[in-house]
Parts: sequence; structure tokens; C-alpha cells
Amino acid sequence: MAHTLTRSPLGLGLLACLFAVGCYSGADQDTATFTSASTGASAATDMTDGSETSAPTEGDSETGDEPPAEFEPASPSLRRLLARHYVNSVRDLLGPGAAAVVTPPDDTKLNGFDAIGSAQLAVSDAAVEAYEVSARAAAAEAMAGNIAQIEAYLAGCTPQAPDDQNCHGQFIQNFGLRAFRRPLEPAEQATYLEVAQTTALEGGDFFVGVEYTIAAMLQSPNFLYQVELGVPDPDDANVRRLNGYEMATRLSYFLRDTTPDPALLDAAAEGVLDTEQGVRSTAQAILAGGQTRTALSNFYSEILHLDELSSLPKDPGTYPLWSPQLAESMRRETLALIEDVIWQQDGDIRWILDTPFTFVDATLAEFYGIPHPSGGVFTEAFLKVPQLPEHKRGGIFGQGAFLALFAHISSTSPTHRGKFVRETVLCQPIPAPPPDVATDLPPAGAENPTARDRLEKHMNDEVCSTCHVLMDPIGFGLENYDGIGSFRTMENGVEINTVSEVTPYGEFDGALELGQRLRDAPGVSLCMVRKLFRHATGHVETVGEMPTLRDLDDGFVADGLRMQQLLVDLVASQTFRSVGPVEP
Amino acid sequence: MYLLKKRHLSRRTFLRGAVAGSTVALAVPILEAMLNSNGDAFANGSELPRRMITWFFGNGVALANTDDAGSLMWAPPETGANYPLTPQLAPLSDVRDYCNLVTKLKLFAKHPEVRGHHTGVSGYFSGYPYIKLDPMGANYSSKFGGPSIDQAAAAFVGSETFLPSVQLRVSKRIVTSEGPTLEFISHKGPDQPLPPIHNPQELFNKLFLGFVPPDDPTKPQRLTALDAVREDVLRLQQKVGANDKQRLQAHLASVEQVQKQIDAIAPLCEPPAMPGETNTDMEGKEPLEPVSSVMAELLALAFSCDITRVASIQFTGSVGYTVFHMLGQNKGHHDMTHEAADNAGVDASTIKMMECFAYLLRQLRDTSEGDGNLLDQSVVLLGSDCASGLYHTDYDLPCIVAGRGGGTLKYPGVHYRSNDENASDMLLACLKAVAPEATSVGGDNGYSETPLSGILA
Repeated sequence: MAHTLTRSPLGLGLLACLFAVGCYSGADQDTATFTSASTGASAATDMTDGSETSAPTEGDSETGDEPPAEFEPASPSLRRLLARHYVNSVRDLLGPGAAAVVTPPDDTKLNGFDAIGSAQLAVSDAAVEAYEVSARAAAAEAMAGNIAQIEAYLAGCTPQAPDDQNCHGQFIQNFGLRAFRRPLEPAEQATYLEVAQTTALEGGDFFVGVEYTIAAMLQSPNFLYQVELGVPDPDDANVRRLNGYEMATRLSYFLRDTTPDPALLDAAAEGVLDTEQGVRSTAQAILAGGQTRTALSNFYSEILHLDELSSLPKDPGTYPLWSPQLAESMRRETLALIEDVIWQQDGDIRWILDTPFTFVDATLAEFYGIPHPSGGVFTEAFLKVPQLPEHKRGGIFGQGAFLALFAHISSTSPTHRGKFVRETVLCQPIPAPPPDVATDLPPAGAENPTARDRLEKHMNDEVCSTCHVLMDPIGFGLENYDGIGSFRTMENGVEINTVSEVTPYGEFDGALELGQRLRDAPGVSLCMVRKLFRHATGHVETVGEMPTLRDLDDGFVADGLRMQQLLVDLVASQTFRSVGPVEP
Repeated sequence: MYLLKKRHLSRRTFLRGAVAGSTVALAVPILEAMLNSNGDAFANGSELPRRMITWFFGNGVALANTDDAGSLMWAPPETGANYPLTPQLAPLSDVRDYCNLVTKLKLFAKHPEVRGHHTGVSGYFSGYPYIKLDPMGANYSSKFGGPSIDQAAAAFVGSETFLPSVQLRVSKRIVTSEGPTLEFISHKGPDQPLPPIHNPQELFNKLFLGFVPPDDPTKPQRLTALDAVREDVLRLQQKVGANDKQRLQAHLASVEQVQKQIDAIAPLCEPPAMPGETNTDMEGKEPLEPVSSVMAELLALAFSCDITRVASIQFTGSVGYTVFHMLGQNKGHHDMTHEAADNAGVDASTIKMMECFAYLLRQLRDTSEGDGNLLDQSVVLLGSDCASGLYHTDYDLPCIVAGRGGGTLKYPGVHYRSNDENASDMLLACLKAVAPEATSVGGDNGYSETPLSGILA
């Protein structure tokens, strides 16, 4: 697709200059190492991965003349199951009744991802208590529910006594394989046999032993953590390849948000997951199974903060239309668009930035003022409709979810909207404001009727403007949408000027044009790859992993930026299939 | 009295029972004969328990002059005892004698990259500079550099009680996107933030309904299951790297704590009635005052029954967007502190928060123990993450050290104007009030082994 990159007074030269004065905190040690090994350009400029080049597409890499960096995966880290992983795993092991009674601890984000928090933070007493209560509740529910499920783990063994060692052993072996996502070691088998026998004798019932074995295994670190230690790679001391069971687990939690099913564990046992081709075909089969849709939507919910909508406070006096129902419709609208592009169309993911269509139910159709395409009546079902051209909406930036989330309680926030675009879409970090600088703006009033007026004066302050110039103008172009995303043309009696620019990618007016400018911004596709990788592996990519991510990005672009293909390529890549040496 | 129906609680003493290889304090109604003749200690000479609460609010206080970052309206110019109360401190009028107001402390515990809010909350509440977490230009986050002061105290006294500590949250408008430093105020260490409870009913359950009856038949089975978990943790520790070994060590400690709780015997304290409050918003409005009050009541009861001795209360969040709707406001608190035009609103919100803080102090003061009250035996530390949010200043952070700390802190309380002393010195004075054997707090440039003498009795 042909396009031109609009040059503006705030063009590339200025952008580089801004980085030089330190707006980008990305220029820290890690990054500096990374960039000095590449082009020698300013660290911050390289951070944006391509913004120093005027190359129109991210596929055409400026990094061709770098020395190839050696692949060095990050050291492994135990990854505690996310709350949804825990619940889904209990469901798959013991049925929906058991899943309904568990209350795992909440996730904690680091660097914007629950997965990273779960790979770095330790549990609290309260978390271990929640696991204890949940494990017992799930076990009790499973025993009270469909007993055929429990019997399946006994594999035909009929207990002859409360402490029937053979049948307890059978159960432990079979349930243990599912719960730990690998066969039990002999010492583990012995530990749980002891649990089963002791509690069965205390309770005078074989199945009391089963119940407490389940309760114990669901509290085991082998269930609660993804353990990814790998085996040595004979060709490379820096690399340990994940074994089949570890791969099955990583694949399943990433692509299905739940524990591996028996077929996947069989594939692990048979060595299918030891080869790139085996992983590739397994991933394709998983995608065909349909569960990846929800798993990937959970990733997008996280990076777009959609889960915050349900409790997003808005001032009822300023925004009487705001309601939990409206917020929920907005959440579903954004996911409907993303799922349409990825799963219905298997299309270029950048459509989520600038498609002139959206999805509305009756609530949203009324909110946006969109007529029914065939003159019918909207219902609770979501319908794909064209946006009203006069509202200049397009892609996620024209949707209520983004516009309401990145706003204040009783006003818009051009700064927050711009910060989101820089950080989440372009992977360009914005540092914290400097200390001891007044953070206020000139007051609203006749002299400064619009938010833009106030912020533009603020941008005259040299200290503030170095960073705010990167954020605020993006929001200025979206000022036709108020703090909950309603279209407006006036603010405090004055017509709003929404012609603005997203430096250095060009001028725009409204959400659709913002998306169009960003679609071809260098670095957008690599940013998507990096975010997905962070979620998939529970860590921020390291210098030694960037070369593989760049390769993945090249393939992604060459293939038309189709997420389904990226998922398969990512899990088949060496960076997904390996970890570094265990830290001493 | 808010929502709880309070029952009379007798003074009580402690028995110690051997449980799971360690001891757990059991509270039973006290008999006068168990106390010494003064009623200020047990007849056998052992002291009444000491308690600590940290009380946090985000984003600092208002300024007298919004062009002057140093012009806080917080403290009066007069120092010493009987200091006059500014409008912001006026809600403390009937507990002022229990409040040491400390000004002009300097935050020594600072990462060289000073970052608004992050610097203050970690430095002030732990004495360690925050740890920066933004590899490869990922969205910036940070974590505490070391244990928060409440957890430093829990490390000394937590094993004496059913729960080593509890963490409470009043406002739910918390920023979660910049890491544990802003999200939580209690941290056992950099990698172990302790998420709080925001629902008073859940707090009630945790404090008063967590006990397993001694004759519960599932008790030995639950302990057996946890024994197996311990074995698995120990085996896994052998295979993983150094960081994960530490994380598993924390997991192991928590498993052992849960075992201890399962085996603990309930105090003979009569539990209060279940509160009706659940911290559920009505039409988008948070029930800040009712939640804060009922939590204060529950905490006083829990202290009185010696169920725990350490608590943290996050009243509002760092960068939090709490709306003080009861003051007619419709903006988030953090946003307001960053607008000079909203300075009066910030001032009003501070006064409202001091009313809530004073309610907590009164609950402790009005609960008798020995010949005194719980506040005599407690240290309650109030602080924030900025002096003024408008400038993100971290010098002269709001600081009140309330309670007599078992007689270790000045009474009647004074306004002590420090001479740029290390804020960690104040932390150490608080810690030693609970654990006299403590010798230092904090780390790196925030390290201190000199308790702030200006507030010591």
C-alpha cells in the first residue's frame, strides 16, 4: 500500500533531539547495551525500532548491517499460574463444579503484564491460604459431583480397602500426570501415596484419601508454577531446550489459557514437541480447536486495559450516560473488532487501528447514533456497522473503550491518550515527570476554554514539553470525543480544533486518520511482537532475544501481519522453545 | 460507633500452647490477679503486647501558596507540646496528646532517578530506595527496595499471634500499571508485596472466623496435605535458580504459617457481629468513611484479642484517583493535586482523611488494656508519597507518629521540627517502639541505626 510519511516541523530530526534530552527513559543500561551493539545510534532512537529511518514499512529493516547478535534466551523463572489459568486448569482436571468453587489470589502486574508479575513475585500468606481453601473446596466438590471423572483416574482399579495401595497408586499416577503436566518422579509418587494412605485411614474411607491427594496436589508448586528448566542444548551452552512436557505446558497456557489436555501430554511423551515442525503442526491444531480466540482476547484485554472498564469511575454529573452496561458494551465492542480481524478475516492486524467499521449492540448504536444498516432494530447482539464518516471514527481509537479508559473522571486527557499510543502501540516509553516541577496547567476559563488551550500553554514550559510534545498532540486530534467517547464539536462554548499531528508520522484529525498514520509507522508490528512475547513468556525480551523477535517480525510483515500465523511462528521459534541456563 | 455492634471485651492475658512445633499466643479473658499491682504488665513481669499500624494516603497535601513548593498548610509554625492545630490537623484535637507531629525530615532513601510518588512511597515506608523495573523500555514500573516498616515489625512480633499482620485498603481507586510500589504499601521484601483486603466482611472473616475448631476431623488431613506440599517445595528448590529459590522459600514460609493457623486455638474473645459493610460502590461512589470506620473498629478488636499486632492501611493510593464525593468533588484525587486551581479541594480532602485517621486513633484509645489503652501500646505511623503532589516534592513529607509505643514515644506528643534528619531515623523510632531489640532499618542510602531522638520519651 503506497503512502507517504508526512514531514512536519516536528519531524524526525526533532524527535531524535527529544530523545537526546532524555525524554525516553528507555535509554537505560539494558537498552544501551543493546543499541551500542547495533547501530551506534542514540540508544533511545533505536528503542523505537525504526523511527530513525524514514523507511515506510517496518519490514524493510534498517538493521541489515548490524553484526548478527548471538541468541541468548533469558534464564528461566518459575511462573505462577495466572488466576484464570488456575480456574481453567481445575475445570479441566475436575469439572466445572470444582472450578466454580475456587478463589485463587489476584494477579499482580509488572511492566503491564500479569504474566511478568507471576514470574517474578513471591506468594503471600494470604495467597497460600487462598490456595489451601480452594484446593479443598475443589476436591470436595469433585468427590461430591460426577464420580465417573474420579473413577477415570483410577483406570479400572477397584479399591479393596480404605488404604488400597494399588488403587491409590493408580490414582496418583494418573491424576498426577494431569495436575503436574508431567509424570511424577518416584519420590513424589511416594509422598502422595503417604498422603492418600494416611488420610484414608484417618477417615476410614478410600475416597477420603483420594480427596486429600487432590487437595494436596492442587497446592503443590508443581501444579501452581510452570516449571521451565529445559535440557542442555548439545550445540549451545547458552541454550536449554524446553522438554516435551514443558513445551506442552507453555503452549497450552499461552494458546488455550489452560492446562494441557491428555492428547497434548501424549504428544509431549512421543517427542512430537521436540522439533520445530512438530510444535508448528501442534499449534495449528490448537488454533483449529478454537480456544485460542478467548486466550488471545485476554491478551488484548490486558494491553488495552479493558478489564478496568467494569469499575471505571466517571462523574455522573458530567457524564450521565455512563453506566456499567455501557462500559460492558464498549469492552465487548473492542474485542469484537479484534476477533473479527484475527479470526473471521484472518486479516492484517493493523485493521484494528483504522478500519472504518465497528461492532455495536442496541446500547452502543444509540450511544454513537449509528442507524441500523437495514433499517431494523438493534438488539443485544453485536452487529458489524460502518462508522459515521462525520464522526471521523475508525479502529480502536474511535471506540468508547479506549476513549473512556484513557481519560479523567470528569474530563478527557489528551496526555493519557497520547501516552497509550506511544507506549502500547509504538513501544516508545515515556518517563515519569521530573521532580520539583509544578505539574499544573493554566486554569480553565475564558482565556483557555479548551483542554488543548490549557495543555498547549503548558507545553511552552521547556522541561515539560520535551515529553508532552510526544503525547498531548495525539490527544488533541481526538478531542472530538469526550471523556466517555461521545462525539462533540464544542468545549466550553468554543469550537474544538482537532487538526493535530502524531510526530513524526504526520498530521491527522480524528481517530480514523490517527489509525491511518500509525498503521504504517515503523516499529508498530515489532511492538506487537514484543508485547505478545512478554505475555507469552512472562518476561520482557532481553538483548539476546531481540534478534529472533526481529526475525519473527520480518516474517509477520512479509506474511501480511496475520496474527494467526504469528502465533504459530512465535511458538515454533527457538526463543519460545528454549530458556537460558539456570542462574547459580 | 459505626456499623459494628460492639461487645464488651474484658482485659485478658495470654497462654502459650505448643502448636506445630512453635508457639501461638492465645488470648483469654484476663483475671485481675494475672496483672501486677500497677496493672501495666503481667504479674510474671512480661510486658503487654506492642502494635504497629501504618496509615498511608496518596499524593500529599495542599499548599499555602501554589507557587511555592515548600509552603505546606499541614503543620503549624509552633513546635513542642500543645502545638496549635492547623485546619488540616484540627480533626486530631482530642487525640493530639497522642500525636507526635514530625516535620522537615529528609528522605535519604532515594534512587538517583527521582520519580514522583515512587521515590516517596518506597523511601518513606521502608527506608530503602525503590528498585527500577523497566528493562528494554517496557512501561516503567518499580518495586520496594526492602521490607516496609510494618513488615520489619512483623518480622519481630508476627510469630506471636494468629496472623503475623493484616493489610487493609479503603479506596479501591488504585493505580496498578506502575508496579507494586504504587499498588501496595506492605511488602515483605522487593519481590513479595502483600495485597490488602478492601472488604470489611472479608476482613472480619479473616480475623475472627479463620480458626479451625480443635475437634474438626479435617484438621489432621489438611496438615498432612500441607506436609506433602512442603516436601514438593523443598524438592523443587533444588532444581531452580537463586531467585526462584528465594521465592520458594517465601512459599514454604507461607505454607508453614497456614499450617500454624490451622492448628491454632481460637481466642476466648467473644467475636463481634459480622459488619454489614462490603465496600461496594453506590452509583459510582465509594463508601470511604463507613469502610474506614468499620475497619478501625475491627482492628481495635483484633488488637484487643491479640489476633494480630501489625496492620497497614492504604486509605487512598499513590497516584490513586479516589473521588471525595462527600465533599462535592468530582475529580480524582491525584488529578486534583496536580492542578493549582484545585488546591482548596486537596485541602478539604486532607481534612476529611484526618477525620478518618482520628477515628482510628480514638478507637484504639477507647479500648482499654491493663491500666491504659491500646493506643498506649501502639505506634501508628501516618505518611504519604509526596509533600505536595503539585510539585512531587519528597522533602518534609507529612508525618505523624501517633501512640505512646508502650511508653517509648513522647507523651504528650510534640511538634518536632527536624533538622533535615534522615526519615529512616523516624522509622527506626517506630520500629523500636514495637521491637526494642531492633537496631537498624532501611538500606542503601536510607540505612539508619539512630532512632529519631526528638520523639523518643
